Parts: sequence; C-alpha cells; structure tokens
Amino acid sequence: MDEIRLTIDGQQVEARKGMTVLEAAQAADIYIPTLCSDPDLEPYGGCRLCVVEIENMRGLPTACTTPATDGMVVHTDTPAVNDVRRTVVELLIADHPSDCLSCPKNQQCDLQKIAAYLGITEQRFPKTTRVLPVDTSNPFFDYDPNRCIQCAKCVRTCNEITGVGAIDLAYRGYASIVTTFGGRLLIDSICQSCGECVAHCPVGALAAKDARQPVREVETTCPYCGVGCQINLGIRHGQVVKVIGKKEGTVNNGHLCVKGRFGITEFVHHPERLTTPLVRRNGELAEATWDEALGEVVAKLGSYDPNEVAVISSAKCTNEENYLMQKFARAVLGTNNVEHCARLCHAPTVAGLAQAFGSGAMTNSIGEIAGAGCILAIGTNTTEAHPIIGWEVKKAVRNGGKLIVANPREIDLVRYADIWLRHHPGTDVALLMGMCRVIVDEGLLDSSFIDERCENFDAFQESLKAFDLDFVEQTTGVSKERVAEAARMYATNAPATILYAMGITQHSHGTDNVIATANLAMLTGNVGKPATGVNPLRGQNNVQGACDVGALPNVYPGYQPVNNPAIQEKFEAAWGCSLPAQPGLTITEIFDAAYNGQIKAVYIMGENPVLSEPDAKHAAEALRRLEFLVVQDVFLTETAQLAHVVLPGVTFAEKDGTFTNTERRVQRIRKAIEPVGNSKPDWWITCQLGKRMRRGNGFKFAHPYQIMDEIADLTPSYGGISYDRLDDGGLQWPCPTKEHPGTPILHTTMFTRGKGLFMPLEYKPSMELPDSDYPLTLTTGRSLFHFHTGTLTRKVKGLNVFRGEELVEMNPEDALALGIADGDMVKVVSRRGEVEAKAKVTEVSPVGVVFMTFHFAESPTNQLTNPALDPKSKIPEFKVCAVRIEKAK
Amino acid sequence: MIDLQANRSSGSQRTIFVCHGTGCVSGKAFEIREALEKYVAELGLEGVKVDFTGCHGFCQQGPIAVVEPEGIFYTYVSIDDVPEIVQSHLRDGKPVERLFYKDPVTGEAVPRYQDINFYRKQHRIILRNCGRINPERIEDYIAVGGYQSLQKVLSELTPEQVIDEVKRSGLRGRGGAGFPTGQKWQFCRNAPGSQKYMICNADEGDPGAFMDRSTMEGDPHTVIEGMAIAACAIGASEGYIYIRAEYPLAVKRVRLAVQQAEEKGFLGENILDSGFNLTIHIKEGAGAFVCGEETALMASIEGRRGMPRSRPPFPAQSGLWGKPSNINNVKTLASVPVIIAKGADWYAQIGTEKSKGTAVFALTGKIANSGLVEVPMGIPLHEIIYDIGGGIPGGKRFKAVQTGGPSGGCLPTSYLNKPVDYESLAEAGSIMGSGGMVVLDEDTCMVDVARYFLSFTQSESCGKCVPCRLGTKQMLDILENICNGKGKMGDIDLLLELAGEVKAGSLCGLGQTAPNPVLTTIRYFRDEYEEHIKKHHCRAAVCRGLVTAPCSHICPAGVDVPRYIRFIAQGKPAEAVAVIREKIPFPAVCGLVCFHPCEAKCRRDQLDEAVAIRMLKRFAAEHDTGLWKQNVKVAPATGKRVAIVGSGPAGLTAGYYLARLGHSVTVFEALPEPGGMMRVGIPSYRLPKDILKAEIIEIEDIGVEIRTNTKVDSVESLLEAGYDAIFLAMGAHQGLKIGVEGEDSPRVKECVDFLRDVNLGKKVEVGNRVAVIGGGNAAVDSARTALRLGAKEVSIVYRRTSAEMPASPEEVEEALKEGVQIQYLLAPSRIINHDNWLDLECVRMELGQMDASGRRRPEPIKGSEFSMGFDTIVAAIGQRPDIHPKFNLALGRGNVIEVDPDTLAISREGVFAGGDVVSGPASVIQAIADGRQAAISIDKYLGGSGVIDETLAPPEGEVAPLEEAEEKHRLHMPTLPVEQRLSGFSQVELGYSQQMAIEEANRCLRCDLEERE
Repeated sequence: MDEIRLTIDGQQVEARKGMTVLEAAQAADIYIPTLCSDPDLEPYGGCRLCVVEIENMRGLPTACTTPATDGMVVHTDTPAVNDVRRTVVELLIADHPSDCLSCPKNQQCDLQKIAAYLGITEQRFPKTTRVLPVDTSNPFFDYDPNRCIQCAKCVRTCNEITGVGAIDLAYRGYASIVTTFGGRLLIDSICQSCGECVAHCPVGALAAKDARQPVREVETTCPYCGVGCQINLGIRHGQVVKVIGKKEGTVNNGHLCVKGRFGITEFVHHPERLTTPLVRRNGELAEATWDEALGEVVAKLGSYDPNEVAVISSAKCTNEENYLMQKFARAVLGTNNVEHCARLCHAPTVAGLAQAFGSGAMTNSIGEIAGAGCILAIGTNTTEAHPIIGWEVKKAVRNGGKLIVANPREIDLVRYADIWLRHHPGTDVALLMGMCRVIVDEGLLDSSFIDERCENFDAFQESLKAFDLDFVEQTTGVSKERVAEAARMYATNAPATILYAMGITQHSHGTDNVIATANLAMLTGNVGKPATGVNPLRGQNNVQGACDVGALPNVYPGYQPVNNPAIQEKFEAAWGCSLPAQPGLTITEIFDAAYNGQIKAVYIMGENPVLSEPDAKHAAEALRRLEFLVVQDVFLTETAQLAHVVLPGVTFAEKDGTFTNTERRVQRIRKAIEPVGNSKPDWWITCQLGKRMRRGNGFKFAHPYQIMDEIADLTPSYGGISYDRLDDGGLQWPCPTKEHPGTPILHTTMFTRGKGLFMPLEYKPSMELPDSDYPLTLTTGRSLFHFHTGTLTRKVKGLNVFRGEELVEMNPEDALALGIADGDMVKVVSRRGEVEAKAKVTEVSPVGVVFMTFHFAESPTNQLTNPALDPKSKIPEFKVCAVRIEKAK
Repeated sequence: MIDLQANRSSGSQRTIFVCHGTGCVSGKAFEIREALEKYVAELGLEGVKVDFTGCHGFCQQGPIAVVEPEGIFYTYVSIDDVPEIVQSHLRDGKPVERLFYKDPVTGEAVPRYQDINFYRKQHRIILRNCGRINPERIEDYIAVGGYQSLQKVLSELTPEQVIDEVKRSGLRGRGGAGFPTGQKWQFCRNAPGSQKYMICNADEGDPGAFMDRSTMEGDPHTVIEGMAIAACAIGASEGYIYIRAEYPLAVKRVRLAVQQAEEKGFLGENILDSGFNLTIHIKEGAGAFVCGEETALMASIEGRRGMPRSRPPFPAQSGLWGKPSNINNVKTLASVPVIIAKGADWYAQIGTEKSKGTAVFALTGKIANSGLVEVPMGIPLHEIIYDIGGGIPGGKRFKAVQTGGPSGGCLPTSYLNKPVDYESLAEAGSIMGSGGMVVLDEDTCMVDVARYFLSFTQSESCGKCVPCRLGTKQMLDILENICNGKGKMGDIDLLLELAGEVKAGSLCGLGQTAPNPVLTTIRYFRDEYEEHIKKHHCRAAVCRGLVTAPCSHICPAGVDVPRYIRFIAQGKPAEAVAVIREKIPFPAVCGLVCFHPCEAKCRRDQLDEAVAIRMLKRFAAEHDTGLWKQNVKVAPATGKRVAIVGSGPAGLTAGYYLARLGHSVTVFEALPEPGGMMRVGIPSYRLPKDILKAEIIEIEDIGVEIRTNTKVDSVESLLEAGYDAIFLAMGAHQGLKIGVEGEDSPRVKECVDFLRDVNLGKKVEVGNRVAVIGGGNAAVDSARTALRLGAKEVSIVYRRTSAEMPASPEEVEEALKEGVQIQYLLAPSRIINHDNWLDLECVRMELGQMDASGRRRPEPIKGSEFSMGFDTIVAAIGQRPDIHPKFNLALGRGNVIEVDPDTLAISREGVFAGGDVVSGPASVIQAIADGRQAAISIDKYLGGSGVIDETLAPPEGEVAPLEEAEEKHRLHMPTLPVEQRLSGFSQVELGYSQQMAIEEANRCLRCDLEERE
C-alpha cells in the first residue's frame, strides 16, 4: 500500500509512502516555510522553520525530516510552531546584514520572503552580525559569509550533488562557518566552480558576480558536452544574461557544471562573434553581403567533380543542420565525402558496438548510473569531460555501489574508487580480456545469459587463452591480483555498468577496445537491464545526433548504408535525385586527399580541424593546399582564418533545432534571441546554398521542425520523433512510431542485431611506442574548464582564470630526470612537430607518460599526435604517441 | 573453555595497590609504583607485592595507595613517602598515620577504606571493581566473576530472555536521557536487517565529569562484557567504542582489554562456542561535546562532521551506516553484567519506583570531598553533599547544586531534601545528565554560573540548527551584558522567552537542554539577576564587569577598601580614615565590630588567607589625626527638618549625611545613651564606650541634634511637630521567648535586656552557673559577658552543630579560650524553677532534613531529656523590632517594617525606615548602608540631588598593580591574655602596631588596579 492519508490542518491529504510531512504538505499546496530543505538534497532539519505539531509525537518535529505515515494528524500553524518560527527568523535577521537593497539576492531571498510571510517587522534581538572577509576570488561568484544563514545547502550540494566536497562547515557554536579545507580562498580550493551552491543558496551568501536578473526564460539544451543538460536561458533586452538549470524531468535535474552555468552568456555575446560574411579578396578576408558570399560558394563548389569536394559537418550543430549538410553533400554535390568529428572520437563505438550488439550507442541511460552496483569507468575522465555524469558516478558510490577506475592517470574519480587499475596507455584490450579470463576461470560468468542471448562464445573463450594473467600483468603494468580483484568486483556486484570515453576509442585498436568492453558486459549478463550496459560517453553536444542523421561517409541517416542499393533507391526517391553508391572518405582520408591534391574544395561547418586533427600541422597544410575552402562558424577560428569564404553561423541560442545527447535522447533547442549582427542559422545557410544550387528543390524549409519531419520519414529510429513530442524531456531513440515512448535501455529482450556477438580479440600494441629518441608517451584529454578547441570557452574570461594555458603534466620522476621544475616552459617534440607549454609536475601522470589537452591554440597539441588509424573505424591514435621533452629556451 | 574461577595469584601477605587512574597518574603514580617496587626489592621483602588499580574516584586525595588485606587507605602519597611506607608498614606492619585520610568535618584520621564517609554511604555497582582490581589483567576481572554473565547469556539465555531480564531490572540509560535500556535493545532487535551495530558511548564531554573515564580506566572489561551481552541481545556482530581522544589512558586500557578478551575468546568469532561473533572497534573522538549525542556520534564514526540529525528514523532502525544500531553509555553497559549475574529482581530493589539501580556522580565544586560517587537512585541530595561530600569547605554557605553537566539546572537549598532520580530532577528543572554534580557556595554568582555554562554549550553547539547556534548566542550576549552591568529590565523576560523557544525549537538534546542553567537560575535566583540589572551588584562579587575589588563591592556601604589599605601601607592612617569616612561615619566602630563581609570575598583568600581588613581599619581609626575634617563640606541650610527615630548606626548615619546636606536633623532616642545596639548590645570588651562616643560626637558636631530619653510612639506626633521627613530606625530590641514552660522566672533573662542592663551600667547578678540558649553572636556576647560578671561556669546550649552555628567563628574561638562551654545538639524543653536555682531540662537533638536556610533541621531525640542546674539562663535566640501599635505601620514577618527595598520609603509619604527595624537583626554595616540609602532617598524627597558621597582623602598618586604575590598568611591580632580578661570589660583585641599594619596592608592584592581587557 503506497498511498497514505493524513490530516494536515484539518484537511485530508493524500500522499505516497516515503514522503516526508513537508512533501505531503507541499503536494497538497499547504505552505510550510523552510530555508534548509531542498528536493535535491537529503533532509537536514537545521533551520527549524518547518517545525509542526503532530498528534502523538513529542515536541515540535520538523516536517522536512519526519516521514509521513498513514493517519497522521499534523498542525502547521499553532502558537508553539509560530513562536519557534518567529524566533528562528528573528535570530537569523539579527545575525544578518540589513543591506538588502545592495544584496545581489534582493527579492530572490528566501529569508526575506519568509520574514514577510511571518509578518516580522520588529526585532527583539540586537544585531550580532559578524564582519568576516568576503571571498571574491572565484571569477563567477562571491561568497559573503556574513550573509550566510548556515542552512548548509551549499555544503550538502557540494557533497550530495556534485560529490566534490570543496566546502564544509567548520568550527562550532557561533563561530561555525561554511568554508573550504584549511580556510583557503575558493579559487585555491578544490572547488570546481560549478555554481551548484550558488544556485541552491537561499540568501545572498553565495551569489553570482553578474547579478542581472532575466525578464523571461527560454528552455533549451546546453551546447557543451554530450550530457545534454536542460537549461533555461535567462533573457533581458534581447541578451542572454543568465543560465539556470532546468529541474523537472531532465537528465541533469537542474544541475549544471561550470561551463554550462557560467560559460555561455559570454561567448554568445562576445565582441569577436562573426556578424557578416567574409570573402577572401586579394589574399585578405573582406566583409561581404550574404548574396556575394553565397554566390561565391555556389560558383566555386559547383565547379568541382564530386570526387574533388568534401563536406565536414558539425557535431556542435543541430540534427536538422547535419541532416541538411549530408543531404547537401550527397544530393547537391553528389558525393559521400561527408564527415564530422565523430570519426575522431567515437567511430570505434559505432563500429564496435554495432558489430557486437547491432547498435553503436549508449545502451542505458544517465539516470540509471546512480543505481549501479558496480561501475567500471575505463578511459573516461568523467568528472572533467562529463561533469554531470561524473556526479552520478559519485552518487552511485555514495549509494553503496562499487567503483573501478581504469586509467593510467590519477584522475579525480580515483578518489572515490574501490579499485584503481593504473594500466599502461593502450593496453585496454589486455586488461579487459584479462578480467574476462578471471571471470571465466572463476566461474563468475552468466552462463544462461550467454547461452540464451549471445553467440560465438567458444571462439571468444578460445581467444582468452592468450590472456593469462602473467601476460596481462606484464602488458598492462597492473598486478594480477588487482586485475582479478577488479574482475570479481565487476562480476559479483550486479547491476554493473561500463562507462567509457575516448580513452577507449582513440587508439589504433580502438574498435578492439570497444569490443572488449562488450565482451565483458555480455559475459556477466550486464546488458539490457537497468544500470548495466556498455555506455560510451559522447563528447560533443550533438555528436550522437550528427551520426544518427548521416553526417558520415558510409551511411545515410539512421545508419543505413550508402552501398545498399535498396537504401540508395529509397533516398534517391525521397530526395528526387541520383546518389553516389560508393562510401565517401573519412575525415583523416579527406585531409590526406586534400594534402595530395585529390580533394580540391572543402566546406566545413562548425569545426576547427587545425587544432583538432591529429598531426594538425599536416591537416593545416592540407587545408592551405585547397583551391577552395568554405568555413561556417560563429568565430573566426584558426581554420576559418584559412578559408576563402567565411559564413557567419549562429550559436544555439539564436536558432531552433534538436540535439541528441549521449543517451540517445533527442532534445530541443529553442531560439532565445535574434541572431547577432548579420549572422544566420546554419540550417538557413545550407538551405540557401541548396536552393541556389538545385534551384530550390528539397531545401525549401521555413523552420527546422519541417526538417525533423523529413528526418523522421527517412530514419526508422527517429520515425516517431517530431517537435510536438519533444517539449517534455525529449525522446530516446529508437522511437520508430508516433506512439512509441522511446527506449531508455537497449537490447532488453534481444540485441538489435539479434544475438550478442562475442568476438575473439588479440592484443595489439599502440602504433608508436616510446623509444630512445622519443622516450615518453603522450596522451591527450580535456580540462573541465574548456571545451574542445576552446572556440567557445576561451572566450569566457572566468574559465581562463581557472585554466588559461596548456599544461604538460608529467611525473616528478620524469621531470627530475629532465631537470624540469613545475612551471617551467618545456618543448614537447614528436615525429610530427613540436609544441611549447608550461610543465605541471604531478603524480597524476604515471612515470613515462605526459598529458596535454588540446584546448589551446597557442600550444596546438595535435601537431604532435599520431594520425595512425584504427583499420576498422579509421579513428586516429590520439591517445598514444611518442614524444620527448626539452626545457624550452 | 576457560576456567572462569581461576584465582588471581595469592599467597602474598601484603599487597600495596597504587592507584593508576588518570588523576593519580598525573600525580606521579607510575613513578611511585616503580619506587615501591624498587624499594621492596632492595629490602628483599618476601610476601610483599606491588600492584596497581584503576581509579578510586577520590582523585582529590591522590595519589592514592591501598594496602591489602588491611584496607589501609593512603592519601596524597609522594615518592618521598615510599621508604616509610615500605619500612614501616609493608615490612614492620605499622601503618603510616600521617598519610591517612582526614575527615573534613571531624578532622579525624581514618585509616581504612571502608570507614571513610565518602565511601561508606556509596553503593558501588558500576564502579564495583574500580580501585579493586588491576584493570590491565583480564585474569583479575575473571577472578571477581568477570565474563560469567556473558557465559550465562550465551549458554543459558535466549536474546529475548536477556532483553526481558534487562527490562525487568528497570535499568535506564545512564547517558542522561534515562530511556529504558531493555526497550531500546528490543527496538534494535526487532529492526529488520542482518548487519547491526552495538555502540558504546564513551564520549564523556561534560566538563568536570569523569565517571566513564574512570570506569574504563578502572574496569574496562565490564564495559566490554556489557557490550557483548548487549550485542548478543540485539543481534549485532560489530561493535564500536566511541571514546574521547582526550582519555589516552582509558583508550589504552580499553584497547588492551579488547585484545585480551579476544585472546581469551570472549570476543571474536564463535565466542565460547556459541556461534556468536563480535568484533569491537575503538574509535577515538575528536573532542566535540555534541558527539555525545548519538546521531552525531554515529556521523563521527562514519567520518563525517559530528552533527546530530533529526529522529525518526531512530538509530534502532537506521543508525550507523544506515543499519540498525544500539548505543549505550559506559555506565549503562557496566551495569549489565551485574544485572545478569545477580538478577533483575535484585537490581530492581535498589533505587526508586521509576529509577532503578545506582547512579554515578562526579561530585565537584565547593565540596570537601570531591570525586566519583555511586549512590542508589532516590538518595536525597543532602546525603550526597553532606554525608558523602563532607559539605562545603571554608565555612561557606551552600547556595546551589548544578546537576547534569553544562545543560543541567541549578537547584537551590530547598531541593536538598529531594531524592535524586530522573523524575525529581526533571521536575525541578534540571536533568540527571551524565552525572555531573557541581556544588556551588555563596561565593558563586548564579548569573555568572548561567553565563559560564551557556558559554560552554554555545561554543560546543554544532551550529546546525538556528535556535541552538544563534539563540544560545543571543542568550549568552544578554547574560554577558547583565554580568557587565549593561543589563536591561526586560532582559530577564527576554531570556525566559528565548530559552523556551531554544528548548522547543532545537534539533538535539544539546540545544533542548542548553537553556536549563539559565532557566533554573532565573527560577530560583531571580533576585540575583535583578540585583545585577538594577543595582549593578553581584552579591558573590565575581562578575568582572561589575566588580573591581570584591571587598568594596560586597561592603554594604561600598567602602573603598583597597585604596585605604594602600594608604595604610604607605604609613598614612589619617588618609586611610579619610577614605573610609567617604562612605561611613563610624570607622572606629567598624574597625572593632564589623562582621567584615569584605574579608569573606577577599581574593587573597584564594591564595592563602584574606587580608585582615577590619583590623587594618581599626588601626587607621586609632591613628587618625582628623585629616578628613579639612575636606568635609556642610551645605547651607535648606530649611527642611528631618526627624529620625532611633540613634543606632542607621539613624545616626542618615542623620550625619542629611545634616551635611543642609537639613535640620533631630534624632529621638528612647534610651538614656545614643548609639542603639552599638551602645547597648555590644559588650565594651569589644567596643569601648569612649570610642563610640567619640564618633557620635563627630556627628553631633556636624549639626545633628540627639534627644535621648525621648520615646516616639507615632508618626503623627512628628508630622504634627512640623518635620518634613521621618526616618524610622528603631532597631530590633525585643528578645524572643524560648517558648518553654518556666521561662518566666526572673532568673531567666532575655539577652537584649541582659546586655543592655550591663552596658548601661546596671548591676546584674548572674550567679556561678549560667546557661545561654542560642548560637548567634548575641549568645556568645552574653556568655562572655556572664563570665566577666563573675560566673564560674558558662554554657552555651545550641540545638545544631558548630557547622551551622551563626556566630562569628573568631568570637566563638575567643569565647572557648575564655572557658565558655558550648553544648551542641541540645535544646531546652522545660525550665524548672527552684528557690535558688533553675533546672534546665534539655532534649538531645539530631539533624534531619534540610530547612529553607540550607541547614539541617534539628529534631529532638525522644526520651533523651535530661536536666542541668543553673543560676541564670540567658535566652539569646533572636530579636525583633518592638514597634508601638500607634505607629500603625504595615509589618512583615518578624515584626519588621515593610519598605520599598530600593528607596526604603514606606507607604506613608515622607516616611522612610531602615536598619534592623526593617531587616530584623542584622549588622552595624548593614544598618550604616541603610542609613546612607535613607539619606539619599530623603534628600531626594526633600528636593535635593541625593548625592551624599564626598571626597575626603587626598589624591592617591600613581600606584602600580601588584606583580605577583608570594604566599603569606595574615598577621595575627594580639589579644589580651585570657587571665587578664575576665576581671572586667577591657578590650580583648589589642590592635596592630604600625609595622604590623603596614606589613598586613601590603598583603592586599590591589584588585582594583587590575588591568582590564
């Protein structure tokens, strides 16, 4: 019996078992004041404002902590209750500055509201306000302890939601205070500046430096990583002034990371935004009209043979825009040379999981992670690259789940891990197959699952023979015991889930790595059930969608192969043209072909390959050799600077569309402000080009919803998706029909491909291993404070305060051997180039491994990385290359 | 299986056990034991063993050593005593008497443990082994029956039976809340879940409390056994002992005990083959008081900040790491093995109906015997304080007892008869708490006590909930203001309001009880709060914001004591008198007879002995040159006339100041001589007539007219005579009757009449044998006077004991020297008149319950009557004012005039009253203070400013505060040899010489110059 009934202030109230009295009252629209309770947080019972009288209970219990029970009789408005409430508020006011008018939270302040509700006008108590220094060190928000009412929401937020634990209550009695460890300034603490505390602070103690309050809010999707957080853009006077996490029914439950909360308004309105088309005249980019610029593009692109052109679409743009872009390439330019950066991140996922399961995407949903019995986080620095998912991982640990972190680097999650497997970069297959071997040897496998749901187990089992634990230990550098321990932990703590990111994929054997994770999951029956699965965490906001809608050289939308004649016919019929049958070039191949002169013209939308391509010098040179380069972007990126025509697109805030997040959830973005200057939505630009080049046929779209309707018609997994269904939390594909509710978990009863396919694997070393000339291994990754090539985040001053330059992380032992001290400028040299950056000597990096991000144009890390490709997915080996380090002069 | 009956090694003839509790260890008990071992070995004494025990609970007397089997109890043992103990006692069998315990009441040496009052009335269950076994040897515990209860539980009883036994025993949580232990276990046993935790709360945080520490130091195994039984009952396989890190010795002993218990198989896997497993972990707390609260304690074990959380869910459902958990206090657990061994019925017959068993208190504060006291629940407070505790040291008066630690309440004398149990204490506004019991005496300011305890709880508040964090802060601010003289009239009500709301609104027990000290001190000592606020007066002279020098502060007339003492030290007695005369017109009288409350509060007393302030005053007065007169200013005549009825210290003081202010003053005195009780009450061996007369003449010189032999019998007569204001200061000159048959005889004299007749020079015959009934100063004066009138035998008959006797100890001492006999615990029951003598029939008394004055009430022992023959009996049992009915005044209890305490005004306009006629028999200085207040009020009434203070002494110049004082006792006042005294009424005290006076004056600590923050 889950339904209970209680009486609150004489009113019969229905509630669910497990609700607190406060929740029951709120559900019945009975107001009980509170300052410390929050639906996001565990009950606290600190402010004592929600005290009530409950018949047959002693004293004045707090509604926020007292479970509602059937038949309970509650009184929320008695003299005793009001005495305590008034006293509490009077005490707080006495201890609170009276400068409300100059407080950033004026009129947003819960203390003000409750004081007004209780009608408090007189003060029995003298002021006791302290004068403590205000911490203004954080670039985005200030902490004024004098305004703090110590409801501890911030502290609890930092523990229960983010798991960061940067702040806590310290000292006792009246001296108690919210502070960082050791009383440091926030900027010097482990605070990650997500601002969750600011969002939860009921008073002005934690307040954003930018205190402008919006007039209206527009619901949309965060444009940064693949988590797809739902946000409300706060608008006033046509400007985005604030970002607020949207609470109800979202992947993020209202939570945001530092980039999402504080990293948006500034780039949207950045003075360097491209506001007008540019056309190169006499070697210089000059302002042009749209007509001129589009005319130039039409004239030039139309002049090449289909094999001489390529289109690079964008995982940052909407599904609709990517769909149009691939349609433009295929139907207008007649080429399958359409590609985007997914090649550089999750091509092995698409290849590997499609092979093993039949579907190359996250099998489960973000919301399930916190319920996992065991999480294997391999090759993912989740808290930096997918902060909100990182918080879910920590929540799982707090809920009692086990955490195995496999990472050469001592990433933040290691702090929360039960087991840390510090394997050598590039040895994931050995590690994962070693774990499989232990599970098989110790009989921890799920035989019935294997028998009923999978195939090819014997061949796989045979291949395990090569992975005896001595070999695994020798190869990975992880002790046998550790590997076995991890295997047991994963196999015996169901439901177990695997999270991975580019630490798995960006290898010359990236597809093997992915398959190894699939093998492990199937072996233990951890597929198709809640909180299980193999879960690739996608990097860009819409990398999943860009793949889904066919911005890939080998498939049409919905992963329908271009070389399947039936499919080809279907699209030819739909688009009213003939289409090329041969798959196009992958991104790396496009750059090689451009370098070789085979490709002569490239149209790039929202990508910055000059920084993001491996062996970036080579890529830049390739672009320089082009006869014609069109770049469509919001800023004049390093790539755009090489273009012949630059088309100013708009940011996500200025257009409508959809993004598909990492858990396959199609979510809306909504136009919140008018395009800046003379910039135009990318879908509009592609339509213009399409119309001009095909005289309007197939590109007559007045609004992106019409494009989505066309996508739905042609893409079975998107078949049921239309804008009118997306207003309430989006839909997870497959969603084949208008009635289909979407699919949170894949492969529940059968795999997409029918049976799960075990695949034998053999260990292949990385392509470029350290040697005497290049004795160190360089591996690359991301910083929490920046996104991708920094096009957006480098525009945000505060983010640059946290991380303003490239750092070469290296182990103290290596640094000592090279005579390098923390903060020294060093030169990192690989066979392909050299880059200067500051050394950061840290044990986060294992001996022999150095780490860099690729966010900083000043230190273009990808000039060092190895373009060696995984033969199956054509992903380059970003994660391992050999370098040497010299002290810079 | 282990033989539980294995005896500890015996065969030695003598064992000396050195106490190794923390208190004794800090007194070098380790070194003493080593020295004993070494010396015993050196002497090659066979059959002598040296061992140690845990705490005896009498740490004040430490280091303690006990020699068994005799049970000789040595106190204050030092390393230097070792050779004597070993040679004399251990070798020769002759105990060392000088190390025996001395009874603080009788002063007698008590050699044996069991005869010491401190222990005799205790009933030790929890502490049964403390001080008796070596806590570091499990064998010793086993030898006294240890772990048999666990064995019984595991082999004979089901968990339900165990819980039932504990339930039936009535055991309640000794951590303070008093929740029934068996019921708590039952809840946890009933909670679903395979993993449960048994937690021992050893986070004893109350300042001054050390019951848990001593238990763990003295008998750690009993706690472990109790835990194991509890764990078995609730179904826990893991246990935690949460113990203060500030208890290193307890931590060490408990760790060792856990290890030994594991080795013996009382802990670990499959305990005693029963299949029951228990692992005990030890978690050291980090010194937060609030971690004694169970939910905060569990948070702390989990590694989180120790903050309480709301219940429900209760720990029994969701405790440590969300699992069902049971938390019991050390003392609760220590009781469990005994309950199992001796049975619930045995335990349940100890204590009261609702509070069973015994409670352990840490008795501290102003108490002769401080230490750990285990008593049956329900014992009256006074038995703990007086019988076990030996009462208040230094002759001070009991004021209050604070129970339950910093959040307990302060109970006044009226509660001394109350039983000590959960219900009675709660009813009185206090709590049992963990067992702190702090005794407070008259030198304790109750506002300051409330402030002190609140400052503790405020600073230990975890800060989680607003009422506790900020409410106690506001309360503390108010209390600090009051203590600093910045209190406002509404403060008390605000405190009461706030206290109620903090109690009602706080999350955990800390906040819910923190206001208790404030509430109870307001409830029982509201007058002290009001004095602080209205009069800026702290009667205990401790509030630093109000009190500069306690001597001046406490002087009813506010004489600036340190300043005149400095003049004396500089050899300037005349300047000193000028200082005294700035406040009182009777320096010489006060120098001789003042009961000197100043000396009782002298800070020097805490170092060695109070400065002899009165004697210094006398010295100054004797060496006066009249310097002060130069600065006396008499105001021009106001034309107002004031009548004063009575020429005692109150009337003459008022007259002096009013005359100086320019009013015309007439004093009416019924007797032939002016001076009131100073003249007719105090014998001249204490106050010579000429000295009094000289000071009265000074007053007359200012212009006060004294009309002797003039009895006034109504206010109307004075008003009709045209007086603008009237001050009634007739004193209390009517002696009280004894109230026994036969007292109407002429041989039975009333002491006021007796002393008056003698002082006025009448011939008074007393015969050879005189009895004086009573115990006050008047009784002593009468007795000594009788001796001087030629009596051969003088007995004072007093119904209580010397401890309760109100007469000043120095007077009593002189009386005893002169041969007065004092018969205590004796009360007259009848007087039988014979022709030439009287038979005084007396009944022996014993002390019963406490009366309202905080003294035990004497009660007659039936059938103990006996008679003594006397020539004269003087009744000195009290006086009261004798007010003519025509005055037609509102009179209060004791026939005193009721006045506004602030102005001394009575309900009739223009009429004021003061001195003994208002207060009942008090003191000269109190009467002087009333005279001053009357002068102020009357001057204001007559239109003046009411400013009576004057500057008579020259400026002092720069004086440095004293750096540091070395110990130096007060100089003895020379007295007339006894043999020269009784022949007449010569002064007994002879006074200081100049050199002595300077030396004594230099003992003053100059508190008034102390640097202030």
